[in-house]
Amino acid sequence: MNLEILKTIEQTLYREARLLDQERYKEWVGMLTDDIHYHMPGIENRYRRDKTEQVHDMTRMAFYDDNLEDLKKRLRRLETGTAWSEDPATRYTHLITNIEVVPTEKEDEMLVYSNFLAYRNRNEKDQDTLIGNREDIWRKTAEGYKLAKRMIILKQNVLLSKNLNVYL
Amino acid sequence: MKIEKFKDNGRYDSYMNLDEGWLDRRVFWEQAIYDREMEQIFARCWLFVAHESQIPNPGDFLTTYMGEDGVIVCRQKDNSVKVFLNSCPHRGNKVNFADAGNTRRFVCNYHGWGFGTDGALMGMHEEYCYDAGDIDKSQWGLKQVAKVGNYKGLVFATFDEAAPSLEDYLGDFRWYLDMLLDNEDGGTELIGGCIKSVIGANWKFGVENFIGDAYHAGWTHDSGTRAMNNGQPFPAIDMKSSYHASMNGHGWEFGTEGVGDLFLLGRPKVLEYYNKIRPKMAERLGEMRSKIFGSVASASIFPNVSFLPGISTFRQWMPKGPTQFELRTWVIVNKSMPDDIKNEITKGVMQTFGPGGAFEMDDGENWENCTQTNRGVVTRREKLHYRSGINRRIEHPELPGIVYQGQYNDANQRNMYQRWLDLMNAENWKDVPERYSPRLNGKETMGPKAGLKVA
Repeated sequence: MNLEILKTIEQTLYREARLLDQERYKEWVGMLTDDIHYHMPGIENRYRRDKTEQVHDMTRMAFYDDNLEDLKKRLRRLETGTAWSEDPATRYTHLITNIEVVPTEKEDEMLVYSNFLAYRNRNEKDQDTLIGNREDIWRKTAEGYKLAKRMIILKQNVLLSKNLNVYL
Repeated sequence: MKIEKFKDNGRYDSYMNLDEGWLDRRVFWEQAIYDREMEQIFARCWLFVAHESQIPNPGDFLTTYMGEDGVIVCRQKDNSVKVFLNSCPHRGNKVNFADAGNTRRFVCNYHGWGFGTDGALMGMHEEYCYDAGDIDKSQWGLKQVAKVGNYKGLVFATFDEAAPSLEDYLGDFRWYLDMLLDNEDGGTELIGGCIKSVIGANWKFGVENFIGDAYHAGWTHDSGTRAMNNGQPFPAIDMKSSYHASMNGHGWEFGTEGVGDLFLLGRPKVLEYYNKIRPKMAERLGEMRSKIFGSVASASIFPNVSFLPGISTFRQWMPKGPTQFELRTWVIVNKSMPDDIKNEITKGVMQTFGPGGAFEMDDGENWENCTQTNRGVVTRREKLHYRSGINRRIEHPELPGIVYQGQYNDANQRNMYQRWLDLMNAENWKDVPERYSPRLNGKETMGPKAGLKVA
């Protein structure tokens, strides 16, 4: 792996995390390709012998199964000025670790593994921590690397939070 | 100032006056009241445990909760469904740890006691340690619920042998349920998987919100509505042609414009689909029900299931103590729908009423704070106002149940708490009063003539 590519992608992931921490969603959307697939499946507790496909079966329920238009729709809620549960604002920190960059068959696309820890805190003492793995495709464009695909595996069965007002 | 201590004397009349239209906040807070709810309501009522489509084949099972009692719901070889406690009768250990799956037996991890898919004790590890006369295996299976019933694909169970039949329990609410469960040939199914989340609120806030609270939608969900529909505001409510209908604590609030909830889903293809099948729906269910379906509407089945007909979220509020519930959500679709419509609905529900949904996010926050403010001893002595529309009761020739005009109304909520109160006070089912005049006892609920008032 070319160290320069590795460094560039690492810096891109950190920049993305900073934009999400600061709710700079327009700029974040600018880091996504037009054909993005942003997916976070819901994963049930199943016995090991049970081979039900829970991650890649796109007919099953998910937390996120979004294309670019879907993501923009969600983000429009914040622009209305009436998203009451976002005012006062939530405080976010995304920590991104365990970054691995793997070349793919396509010269301009990199498979990127990473782990996240997203901390949220709002109002007086609401808080939660979301931890999991991500599997991304980052595509090289004239404007730098853009996110073309993200699969998020959250390590919770019951989401231990009241909502997901956060992008991971 | 006189400090009134909370006393539980088995009578709950002092915690609300539904003729005046108020509730005591302590019904959302006190552990003792919650404990009593588990006994008086959840250990006696018919509770939703599964949709048939979740367990289509023999050996298919899922685990869920009836109140706080964990149960296994399992499809039998003869196609019937059994429901039994998810707790080994030997030392009490939880027997099954999966949300769902298929199995030939349930085996306890502790001492290897093995149970058939019907819950019967089949044998155990090192069985020779039991001498003759030590155990009668026929008596030590997983504890069965008292009764299991099915209404058009929804499987219910009750722990109470003395509970009325499921048909009587649902009463004329079946006429309304048919709009969700039988609006097209082939019935319904749930999309695979289940999204679960935890909300720090009393379970009744979720149920009452869906049973009648159209009022919150235009305000709480202004942002969600505009996000999903290119900036358009919440659909206008016509107070003349919209209603609350309640029976046995179940309730449905609705318009008769046919499109409001379908609009809120934000998926034009789904609206098109329903508009296409609406004439057929009218033949099956009558003109009135074909206009109710898809309008701005929400509903709850007492005590803890809710859904949005048209938006297609289907959910259960699992009580976890007085100040917390687990929300389980599914997507309900017609089996006969083409895959792309099912997919559109699934995505629409996820974006509106999943934990990351544009609508759901603002609800949980409200209910948590409606609950948590009662931490204050002075705050929780204050009443809550439930009087909206108290004088708008009507008799409607086409709509069964206790009907109020105007869907901005607290009527269904009052009736839900009336049922709550009746059950909390009643020592047995005979003491639970009938609060409405059923039109459909023992009658067919389908067809254009069903449910009409007979002079």
